[in-house]
Amino acid sequence: MALLEVSDLHVEFDTYGGTVHAVRGVDFRLDEGQTLAIVGESGCGKSVTVQSFTGLIPMPPGRIVRGGATLRGHDILGGGRIDGKEVRGREIGMIFQDPMTSLNPTMTIGDQIAEPLQVHAGMKRRTAHARAVELLEMTRIPEPAKRAEQYPFEFSGGMLQRAMIAMALSCEPSVLIADEPTTALDVTIQAQILDLMVDLQRENGMAIALITHDLGVVARMADEVLVMYAGQVVERGSVDDVFYRSAHPYTLGLKAAMPTNQSEGEQDLQPIDGSPPDLFAPPEGCGYAARCPFAMEACQGPPPVYGIRAAAADAYDHESRCWLHHEDCDIAAEGVHKGE
Amino acid sequence: MGRYILRRLVQGVITVWFIATATFFAMHNVPGDPLQSDKAVSAEIRANLEARYGLDKPLMEQYFIYLANMAQGDFGISFTQQNREVNDIIAEHFRISAALGILAIAFAALGGILWGALTALYRNRLPDIVIMLLVILGISVPGFVFAGLGQLGVVNLNAALGFTLFPVGGWGTVSHMIVPALVLGLGTMAFLTRLMRSSMLEIANADFLRTARAKGLPANRIFRKHQLRNAILPVVTVLGPSIAAITTGGFVVELVFAIPGLGRYFVQAVQQSDYTVIMGTTVFYGAFLVFMVIVVDIIYGFVDPRVRLE
Repeated sequence: MALLEVSDLHVEFDTYGGTVHAVRGVDFRLDEGQTLAIVGESGCGKSVTVQSFTGLIPMPPGRIVRGGATLRGHDILGGGRIDGKEVRGREIGMIFQDPMTSLNPTMTIGDQIAEPLQVHAGMKRRTAHARAVELLEMTRIPEPAKRAEQYPFEFSGGMLQRAMIAMALSCEPSVLIADEPTTALDVTIQAQILDLMVDLQRENGMAIALITHDLGVVARMADEVLVMYAGQVVERGSVDDVFYRSAHPYTLGLKAAMPTNQSEGEQDLQPIDGSPPDLFAPPEGCGYAARCPFAMEACQGPPPVYGIRAAAADAYDHESRCWLHHEDCDIAAEGVHKGE
Repeated sequence: MGRYILRRLVQGVITVWFIATATFFAMHNVPGDPLQSDKAVSAEIRANLEARYGLDKPLMEQYFIYLANMAQGDFGISFTQQNREVNDIIAEHFRISAALGILAIAFAALGGILWGALTALYRNRLPDIVIMLLVILGISVPGFVFAGLGQLGVVNLNAALGFTLFPVGGWGTVSHMIVPALVLGLGTMAFLTRLMRSSMLEIANADFLRTARAKGLPANRIFRKHQLRNAILPVVTVLGPSIAAITTGGFVVELVFAIPGLGRYFVQAVQQSDYTVIMGTTVFYGAFLVFMVIVVDIIYGFVDPRVRLE
C-alpha cells in the first residue's frame, strides 16, 4: 500500500472572470523514503495540487470538485484527520517557497518550532522548547539555543528555510511536502538546503514531495518525476526515464530550456514559444498542442495516457499523455522516446 | 532601552518648549488682553494693573520671565478667576478629563479591535455589512450629535426603567461616566474598527498564516497567536494620537454632559484672553500628548520585536 495516494484530483477556483480549472485529474502515489518531484512551469497546477488535498487553499474561492487523497489508506482529502488526530503538522510537514514571509514576525523561532510539539505531541512548553533547540541543531543552525530566542527578522533567508524545515519535521512526519523550497534562495544556499533535505530523509526515512520548476533540482533529488502541464500530468516515470527517455514533447521543451554547463554543441537555450492555455476554458484536446512542434489533427481530441514501459521490480511506470504514442501514428518526432 | 527613553524625553522637552513659545507669541498677537472688561477702566488704573501683572514689560522680557517660572513648574495665577492658581485648575479638572478620556479610549480600543476582528471574520456577510454601516455613521457624524442623542437615550431609558440608571449629566460616580465616555470614544472606535478590519484582512492572506495551518494548529490558536497579534500592530500605532485627541477633544462632550473637565477651562480661557490659563492648559496638553506618544512607542517595542528601542 502506498504511503500517500492522490487520485483523480480536480480543483477549480471561482473568480470574477469565471471558473479556473486549475487541476484537472491528477494522480500520484508516494512510497516511504521516496522522493517525488512535480515539475512544470508557473501556473500549471503544481502548488494547487498539493495545497488543495492538504486543505491549504482558501475555500471558497477554491473548490475540490472530485478526487481522493489517502494516507496509509485513511482518507485525508482537504487536510482531514486520522483517528481524530490532525494530519497536517503531525503526519505531513510542509515548507514553502518564501521563508522570509512564511514565519510569524512577532513570535520567536523557538516558539514557532515548539508549537506543533505542544499541539500534537502534548509537550509542555519547556520540553517543547528544548526539543526545538535540538531540531535547530539538526538543521545545522549554529548556536541553536541563542537562535531559538530570536525573531525571524534576525535570520537570513537560508537560515529561515532551515528553521522552516526544523518546524516541518518537528513531529517526525512521514511525508514532507516542499513547495519550491529553494526558489527564493541564492544558488549556494539552495544546494545546502537540498543536501540537508536529502540527509534528513536518509536519517528518518520520510517521503518527500518536491515541487519545483528547476530540472537541476529534480535530477539531484528525485526518484520519480511527475511533469505537469495545464493542470494535468503529461508524463511520469523514474528520473532516468523522464530525463533520458523523455516521451512527451513538453518534457523535451523543458529540457531544451534548461541551461547546462556543457560546452559541446554550444546550444542556445530554446524557450518554449507561447504561454500555457487559458484555464478558464481549457482546451478539449491536448493542452500543449498550441505550442507543440509535433502537433497534428489528432491533438484536438484529448490524448490518452500511454504506457511507455511498465514498472520493473525496482522502477516506476513510465507514462506519457500524447497522441504520438498511438500505434497508428507514424510521425517521426525527433527526441521523443516511444518505447522499445 | 534607558538611553532610548532618555533621548525621547529630551526630544519631548524641546517639543514642549516649542509649543510654549509658539502659543505665547500667538496669544499676545491676538487683539485684546485679560484686563479688558465690560466696565470702563481709567488709564491710571489700567497702568497700575499692567504693572501689577508685569504686562507693561517688553514682550521678550515677559517671555523669559514666563519660561523661568514654567521651568519651576509655576504656571501663575488665573487672570479671571480670583486667586486660583493655574496648577490648581489643571490638577483639579484634568483628573476628571483624564478619567473620562481613559474610559473612552478603553471603549474605543476594545470596541475597535473586537468589531474589527468580527467584521473581518464575517467578511461580506450580514454582521460585517451592518457594523461597517455603523462605522461610517460613527466616523462622519460629529460628536455633539452623539452627545445629544446619548442624553436623549438616557432620558428615555431612565423613564422606561422608572429609576435613574445613568444620570443625564454631572459628575461624581461611575454611572456618570459611562454614557459620556461611550459618546466620546465612538468616533475613535469607528476609526479603529476600520483599521483593524483592513489589517485583519491583509494578514489573512499572509504566508505565515498558511504555515500555521500547515502545522495543523487549531483554528482558535491560529487566530489568537498568529493573526490577531499581527493585526493589532497598526491599531497600537494610532493609539497614542488617539489618546491625545480624545482627552483634549472631549470638551464638547464635557459641555453637553455638564462635566467639570479641563476642556471647558481651556476654551473659556481663550475666550477671555486669560493668558496664564491658556499657557498652562496648552503646555500641559502638549506635554501630555508628547508623553503619550512616547509611552505608546515603548509599548510598541514590546508588541513588535522588529521595533528595536535603541
